[in-house]
Amino acid sequence: MKRGFALLETIIVITFVAVSLLMLYGTFTNMIEKKERSLMYDDVSHIYELYYLKEYLLLGGIDDSSSIKKLTCDDFNYSSCSILFKEFSILELYLVPYGYEVDTNYSFYSYYQTLSNDEEYDYLLVARFLIEDRDNYASIGVNIHE
Amino acid sequence: MNKRGFTIIELLISILLLSIVLLLLLKVMASLEVVNHDMSYASDDEISRTKIIKNIEESMIHNHLNGLFIESNEEKTIIHLQMDNNKTIEVTNKAIIFDNEKYQLKSKNATYDRCIKYQYVDLENNYYLVTFTIPVLIDNKNTTIHDDLTFTYMGLKNDTTSYMKDYSC
Repeated sequence: MKRGFALLETIIVITFVAVSLLMLYGTFTNMIEKKERSLMYDDVSHIYELYYLKEYLLLGGIDDSSSIKKLTCDDFNYSSCSILFKEFSILELYLVPYGYEVDTNYSFYSYYQTLSNDEEYDYLLVARFLIEDRDNYASIGVNIHE
Repeated sequence: MNKRGFTIIELLISILLLSIVLLLLLKVMASLEVVNHDMSYASDDEISRTKIIKNIEESMIHNHLNGLFIESNEEKTIIHLQMDNNKTIEVTNKAIIFDNEKYQLKSKNATYDRCIKYQYVDLENNYYLVTFTIPVLIDNKNTTIHDDLTFTYMGLKNDTTSYMKDYSC
């Protein structure tokens, strides 16, 4: 008559518990990543910074383009552009035609997938900010045919 | 084989395996705790923060901000916004009052830092950039800048433009 667990039984139970906990770990990790990501996207302060940058950009005019364009300070007609990039902690700035299919080569691919296409613009101004060593993203619609 | 219970070897192996499993669990809990500590303000007061920033930014844009002055006393810090329709932002440790509306912090350990960070930069062609930040402290520490309230304004100077060139508290 068996009076207690055998080693084999114990190992089976522990394996079962370990697998369950590993599944839980996976779920929690996903939840944490999603939560962190949601805090890194479209922060309201970044949206207003982009608004001012857009106004500044439009002062110099934008050339029409049918593909994604990475904007640098050479595209702005003002030398203060570099000050704005530095003050706003902007690393990269892109002008993306409305509805454009962005591929995985772009740093903002994951962020772009979360955007809805409810509102129509000529372009989307997408910025990558570096805040506390983490990439943050925000975007704003741009109309140049008004 | 003796089926009457654990031998010492079996017990040791069981404890070892259980320890590994519990260490994994501890790792999950630790990562959850870090995220919760850093983001606790952001999650509890996220909507409130967005609302404050939006209301103040919209007001500065629509009323054409043209000057800014900060004064501080023992109870509160007051930011005077010189605009078409002059307004003030009052900052106390637990609330911000703007446009007759009071925005209170919900997070238990969070407070507003009345020591406001302010910066004024002249740009070319008479443009200027003003940024000011109201830091949010968790247990009296500014754990992350993600929950701070940062306001930006870029404008064109005229004869009545009047900004503090710098400010320190």
